[in-house]
Amino acid sequence: MGEMTENFREYSITEFFKKNAQMLGFSGKIRSLTTIVHEYTTNSLDACEEAGILPDIKIKIEETGEERYAVMAQDNGPGIPPSLVGKALGQMLTGTKFHRYMQQRGQQGIGAAGCTMYALLTTGKPIHVISGHKGKIFECDLTVDLKTNEPIVTNSSEREGDFSGLIVKGEFANVKYDKGQYGPYEYLKRTALANPHAQIEFTDPEGNVFLFPRSVEKVPEKPKEVLPHPLGVDTHDMLERAKTSESTRISSFLQTSFSRVSAEKVKELQALVPEIDFKRNPKTLTWEEAEKIVKAFRQVKWIAPATDSVIPIGKEQIEKSLKNIINPEIIAVVERPPKVYKGGIPYIVEVGIAYGGNQKSSIMRFANRAPLMFDASACAITEVIKNIDWKRYGVKDFENEPITVFVNFSSVYVPYISAGKQAIANDEEIMGEIKNAVFEAARQIERHISGKIRERERETKKQIFLKYINQLSADIAELSGTKKELIEKKLMEIVEGKYGK
Amino acid sequence: MVSEKPNTALEKLRLLGKRMVEEINRGESPTFETYLHSKGNIVFDENLGYLKLGDKKEVRKFLNIAQSRTFMQTIAIANKTRSFIEQGLHTSIRGLYYQLKFSLGEDVDESLFEEQSESNALIEDLEVALGVKREDLNLTTDRKGVLAGPIVIRDRFAGEEVLIDGRKQGRSGWMIPSDVDNGMEIVKTDAKYVLVVEKDALWQRLNEDRFWEKEKAILITPKGQSSRGTRRLLRKFADLGLPIYVFTDCDAWGWYIYWTMKTGSMNLAYLGRDFSIPEARFIGVTMSDIKRYEFLEKLTIKAKEIDIKRAIEMMEYPWIKVHKQWVEELKMVVKTKKKLEQDALQGQRLTFVGEYIKEKIEKGEFLP
Repeated sequence: MGEMTENFREYSITEFFKKNAQMLGFSGKIRSLTTIVHEYTTNSLDACEEAGILPDIKIKIEETGEERYAVMAQDNGPGIPPSLVGKALGQMLTGTKFHRYMQQRGQQGIGAAGCTMYALLTTGKPIHVISGHKGKIFECDLTVDLKTNEPIVTNSSEREGDFSGLIVKGEFANVKYDKGQYGPYEYLKRTALANPHAQIEFTDPEGNVFLFPRSVEKVPEKPKEVLPHPLGVDTHDMLERAKTSESTRISSFLQTSFSRVSAEKVKELQALVPEIDFKRNPKTLTWEEAEKIVKAFRQVKWIAPATDSVIPIGKEQIEKSLKNIINPEIIAVVERPPKVYKGGIPYIVEVGIAYGGNQKSSIMRFANRAPLMFDASACAITEVIKNIDWKRYGVKDFENEPITVFVNFSSVYVPYISAGKQAIANDEEIMGEIKNAVFEAARQIERHISGKIRERERETKKQIFLKYINQLSADIAELSGTKKELIEKKLMEIVEGKYGK
Repeated sequence: MVSEKPNTALEKLRLLGKRMVEEINRGESPTFETYLHSKGNIVFDENLGYLKLGDKKEVRKFLNIAQSRTFMQTIAIANKTRSFIEQGLHTSIRGLYYQLKFSLGEDVDESLFEEQSESNALIEDLEVALGVKREDLNLTTDRKGVLAGPIVIRDRFAGEEVLIDGRKQGRSGWMIPSDVDNGMEIVKTDAKYVLVVEKDALWQRLNEDRFWEKEKAILITPKGQSSRGTRRLLRKFADLGLPIYVFTDCDAWGWYIYWTMKTGSMNLAYLGRDFSIPEARFIGVTMSDIKRYEFLEKLTIKAKEIDIKRAIEMMEYPWIKVHKQWVEELKMVVKTKKKLEQDALQGQRLTFVGEYIKEKIEKGEFLP
């Protein structure tokens, strides 16, 4: 019996990993490596922000074999107390993030622990951890016991030291480094763009070091944990909350677990679903009952949700960041006021357009500052941008012009299209809002582009005329018997007068 | 300087330079004016009987981005030909192209001319703008025509002066030069008319018969399509009051040679009267000759598709359709699908060609 349970457990965890590879971000060799970088980077950003520290992150990738890489991530955060290292980096599904209703980076799977698991499954090796926490440096190897899902810490040591932060190093196989739009470089560049308060240094497998410098010296506001608005929940959310609620009655559960629900509103709801006794314990709610309550939510008038739970990157921050990292000729950033979709979920759309300079045409999508790297064609942001008639805004050939369109969607609840969390669902309200934001930014760009184009054309013309003046002056001089210098000087003056600045 | 009379082309070139300097001194872009010589500005003058340019003018401007390079190139050609004239040296347009094929500067990745095709159109521009011919700019063209007959021409060339007697050119004849205007003049002629024979073979035949002596005619073969020099010389003969008779094959190519000589062509319309001879008349060979001379019937060739197509097209040309006889001729081609070479006239006896021509001219039997 014992053995069977053990086998079953082992089977379930590894199978869970394999079956849910897509959801966890570990599908495809390229995507897997980008996901690993994403998990470590996100952990570091979160840890630093939580502690009010300006993040200083280093990522290094080394090739150790065929489709085999070592990834090192280092931050300057508060580190992890030695007793929690195993739990934080080695135990799956222990994160505190799962049941919190607050704006957070789009965690794609099971965090850093998932990476530890992935290392074990593909190379059989533990990860190496160095944690500098409150004057002490703790160092160990860490892996997971597949039978018990417990972290295994070995070779640990502790010493005094000034270092504060976390260094994690793991070796992974069945992954592939991509230099292009799906790889770690692009991911980190985009992360830096959406997190102008962070400095990110990246060393690629060829040993090239890239630095994305900090553009803003201010740690962003911490997002608040808020109660969901009745119009922003579905049956599944309702049941999850009911199970973990400390209330003993459904009536008080509704008031304490959702915003804008008063005693008055509870009465209205009770009248709509008289068959459910609101004096019952919320833990006894069935799926059908929860479904009925969610339906009833939709029939009651609610005050709109508070929008202060949504924290955008900020217009100025995006401007600085685009300037710093892309260095375009023109920047237009639009931060729209908060909006609410489905009547209950507040969100903010920010759009930045960077035009000109040495860059390729690209659409950069973000949800809560986290770059969305995959599934571009399914995403509402892509659809909106592709359907815009860019010619009207002076961009003649969108695909081949130096233009970046940056869109960040901030919300407590991001409507992803699938568990992969890489594309935003094509919701009409949201698409309309994104479209308005892009239009607004594009109009600003259009004015600049037409001005720039005129200026460039004038400059081009001037250069052509200047190129021909020498020869023409010589010929006119000989034809007319005049001094060449006189003609040339005069012609230069005419050209400068007409086409100079 | 070789030429003793004032060279107007040279004066015009210098004036062009002076005018541009004036414009520059006024703070304006240098310009020059030319007539459009695209199809849209080519007209057939019914009264005068030749193709010429209409009156659509165009100003070429250096400070126009679309014209800047060609403007510079045109002026470079102008200045280069000025130096040719001043030095009394001639060259072909290919020679000119090589003289102007050089880099615009060490730091400029561009040559004044990259291809000869660039310069050809610009030479025309300059000819039209200045109202001169390229021959006046000391640019030579290919020679092709050959002449024999009672005429004396004075040729001043390369520092020497020679008298050319058209009666003393032996079996080869005198090759008509590319420029018959500058340094060349007709001293005297007692010819009664000029006979243009399409094919060199027939010319040699007639020359052997001393046709030019018997008939007091200037005998010319353009050897196919006539060169600029030949057409220009024919124009001068017509100006002396000599009738010009043309004798070609009875096919599309033959008629084309005749009509180009007579009315000019689209390509050379910009030269107008200087290169067309509306006074020219067509002796033959005609379709009606086939009926008239029985032996020719057996010597016809089947007309090619291009001949038929061409005949149908020609009937519609405004300068041809006004001539009933020509339309009749062309209709006969379409109907019988036959053609005839001028060489066929030798079918019975070699000397028949001369007799044929003589008879036609005496009886005045030719097409307009």
